[in-house]
Amino acid sequence: MRYDHITDLIGNTPLLRLDPAVHGLPRVQLYAKLEFFNPFGSVKDRVAWGMLRDDLAGIVAGGRTLIEASSGNTAKALRILGALHGVGLRAVTNRIKVTEVRELLQLFGTEIEELPGLSECPDPTTPNDVYSVIEATMARSPGTYQHLSQYTNEKNIEAHYHGTGREIHEDLARDGIGGVDYLIGGLGTTGSTRGTATYLRKHNPELRTIAVVSERSDFVPGIRSETELWDVGLFRPDFYDRIVPVTAARAVDATVELATGHGVLAGPTSGAAYAAAREVLAAETAGDGPPVVAVFIVCDRLEPYLSYLRKRRPDLFGRTAARVPAPTAAELAAVPVLSPAQLADLDATARPTIVDTRGAMAYRIGHVPGAVNIRDDQLDDMFAQGIPFSRSRPLVFVCPVGDASTRFAALARRAGFDAMGLAGGVVAWRDAGRPLESAPAADLRG
Amino acid sequence: MTAPPALPAKWHPLVRGFLDTPGAAQRAVHRFGSPVHLLFPQVFADNLHRLQRVLDAQVRRYRICYAHKANRSRALLRTGEYAGIAVDAASPQELAAAVGAGFTADRIEVTGPKGESFLRQLVGTGVTINVDNLWELDRIADLARGHTRVPVLLRVSGFPAAGVSRFGVPLAEVDAALAVLAEQRPWLAFRGFSFHLDSGELGERVAAVQECLALVERACARDLSPSVLDIGGGFRQVFTADADRFDGYVAALRESLRGRGEPMAWGGNTFGFHLDDTGVRGTPVFHKYANTVPATGMLADLLAAPLDAHGGRTVAQVVAENLLDVWLEPGKALVDHAGITVARVEFVKRAADGSVLVHVDLSRDTVTPADQEVMVDPVVLPGPSGAGSGGAPVGVFFAGRLCLERDLITNHKVWLPGCPRSGDLVVFPNTAAYHMDLSAASASMHPLPPKLAVLHRDGGYRVCRDIEYDPVAAVAESDRAVPGAGGRL
Repeated sequence: MRYDHITDLIGNTPLLRLDPAVHGLPRVQLYAKLEFFNPFGSVKDRVAWGMLRDDLAGIVAGGRTLIEASSGNTAKALRILGALHGVGLRAVTNRIKVTEVRELLQLFGTEIEELPGLSECPDPTTPNDVYSVIEATMARSPGTYQHLSQYTNEKNIEAHYHGTGREIHEDLARDGIGGVDYLIGGLGTTGSTRGTATYLRKHNPELRTIAVVSERSDFVPGIRSETELWDVGLFRPDFYDRIVPVTAARAVDATVELATGHGVLAGPTSGAAYAAAREVLAAETAGDGPPVVAVFIVCDRLEPYLSYLRKRRPDLFGRTAARVPAPTAAELAAVPVLSPAQLADLDATARPTIVDTRGAMAYRIGHVPGAVNIRDDQLDDMFAQGIPFSRSRPLVFVCPVGDASTRFAALARRAGFDAMGLAGGVVAWRDAGRPLESAPAADLRG
Repeated sequence: MTAPPALPAKWHPLVRGFLDTPGAAQRAVHRFGSPVHLLFPQVFADNLHRLQRVLDAQVRRYRICYAHKANRSRALLRTGEYAGIAVDAASPQELAAAVGAGFTADRIEVTGPKGESFLRQLVGTGVTINVDNLWELDRIADLARGHTRVPVLLRVSGFPAAGVSRFGVPLAEVDAALAVLAEQRPWLAFRGFSFHLDSGELGERVAAVQECLALVERACARDLSPSVLDIGGGFRQVFTADADRFDGYVAALRESLRGRGEPMAWGGNTFGFHLDDTGVRGTPVFHKYANTVPATGMLADLLAAPLDAHGGRTVAQVVAENLLDVWLEPGKALVDHAGITVARVEFVKRAADGSVLVHVDLSRDTVTPADQEVMVDPVVLPGPSGAGSGGAPVGVFFAGRLCLERDLITNHKVWLPGCPRSGDLVVFPNTAAYHMDLSAASASMHPLPPKLAVLHRDGGYRVCRDIEYDPVAAVAESDRAVPGAGGRL
């Protein structure tokens, strides 16, 4: 299909029916509204374009810069839409917690103002909440900024009323489905659930709207906890039939299920919505009854959240390479250990390979002279493939205090190497008054 | 009828047990007068053990320096000394108290901004000086020249994306400080870098650790050999027993500020919220009372945090392999739940707007740090006339004894099960961390309330003057920490 402008691709996203054999809700026709098909990758493309479209000419003419409270998808969409017309963006945020999201914003040249964490002993005369900072920034430079204000702007809701809600209704109506029984979506600005549900209620006043929030003091990118929502101007608690908190752990599990069960590679907010949808629908559609139509909103794609997922579930990112079995107690006990003086003698007579298993900084600051630096985790990876040292020389491992070195020496001895450890590690070497060699950080610039 | 909004306090079982012992609080007040601060050294020791368990699990060598500024209590100070930890003293008077409590120079660190006379007093004693600025560093070198070598830490500040701090040497001036440390090496023994953040934000602490590690490398390039990374204090307390009820109270308070429901704020108080046409927004001054993450959790998370500049190795790993000792300066985390304050109800009256004011023989500054609103409910115990304050729940404001309009102990409404009567006792929970001492003044010539130490032993409670408390007699020999165990310095 041919388009003339990238904004023509905003909206009209697909509605995917999920296989009941996978989601396990026999009475439920569950649909995912795939907002990651928007051109910049998220549900926020609609909101950004909806808020900006009418004012764009004036902003360009006035040479103004956008200023917005966003650390994620809205900032990304506003930045791209503005960039197409030479309009800049200043994103004022509390700390951005997802590395890739920050890097995307930096890549596109967003000015990012991250506010420092809250003082434990706060002064009410120096507020540092995002809205006060935006107001103060605008007051100091009148005419410089345009604040579209996604958290209070009714156009945020309208974009979903005329877009998301209408599209869902029309797509289902074409299949002869007249009304939606459940809408499930995460709450950030609350614009998507309010706009979409308001449209769907026109056709089914009995629609149940399920809001998904993060558990108190837990963090799911893109949605807020219920208390954090008190600061959202558009938030209307009475609008929702239920507000369901989801922990980050459940959101991550459901994110993986969405990808591997349905082929929907969505971010953790969508995982949270999927988890809440299954929880609520399982409880409310138990037993016999008429079929139920439910839709949940898939906000964005999975890839920008890899660091978030890795932090929450490092176990899912475990190396798949076969690990060498750990040394036995007998193998550990059989490892010869050298005193600092013995290592110095060996070094003078037998050309040993000395391997320092610590991190790069520790190695740079000071190591046993002549040692090479291979970090313990890298050694573990290497040992799974084979031991990359000469068999014709003795091998000595050096670690901070002598425990890790014994483990590596045991593994190397198992493979037939003449391997040893430095007893007491670098600490013992230093305390024995032996010299340490330093390797200042290399400056490789020309 | 739903229960009225409430801010239920978390209580340490030992403190709860004291309050549940019939007549125990009343006897203490009868003997020593009202108002009075009660300290629980065993709770302090309990907190210390919890922090040590976290450190033992992740760090090879560490030192805990109790930030004495959190509370003037000698009983708590003696408890720390007896447990073998170090102390952080922030004034000549705190230093004298620490020495008096038995801390030797090698277990004392002096922090904060120090003037000429304090520096003169410190040089030559062997205590570690945590240096705040370049003037201090130069003065210490001048004062030491020719006769002594002073152990120093360098406090640094101005980390990227952190709030500006009035304390510490800005990162841009660290090279100048390292030049002084290198030149004055005969008189300055450089131990390492130190920071303390005003915020509890984990990301900010991790960033500060990473900056300090880079500084360690720069110091080593000048042949200085730092061996300490001091991560400061700021580990949070948990005041609330029920986060949902806390949130419910704040929700009701916000509604009341918008003019909906029953008024809950005294006078025009907005607690740092901003009111405008979009509602009530912003962060209230009392946000720390909502915290549910204990100090041990914050510390464990920091030590386990991966460092981007070190290939994802954790703070604990990088510190260990660089042979650095971790120092920390917990104050409130050590005294959390180790103190309560008891006052007496003088009378109950009604203000012109209908508010019920419960007057106590105490002023706001004696239970409130830096004039913050304390968001945790006090408990009323019956006075000498016995129980009987029954009836329906009543929403009150607690008023202080000063002739000052702002001397309200609570500017927010507190619901009590019934209306208190003259002579009832009001127990303010968890006041040991800064609440007792930070702001307390002797306005109107009111003396500061006395401090008592409460010891739980043989199923009962013994109360003595704080100054007379002796942990050696109080703690059974078997409970005593074994010197040299683990990596405790």
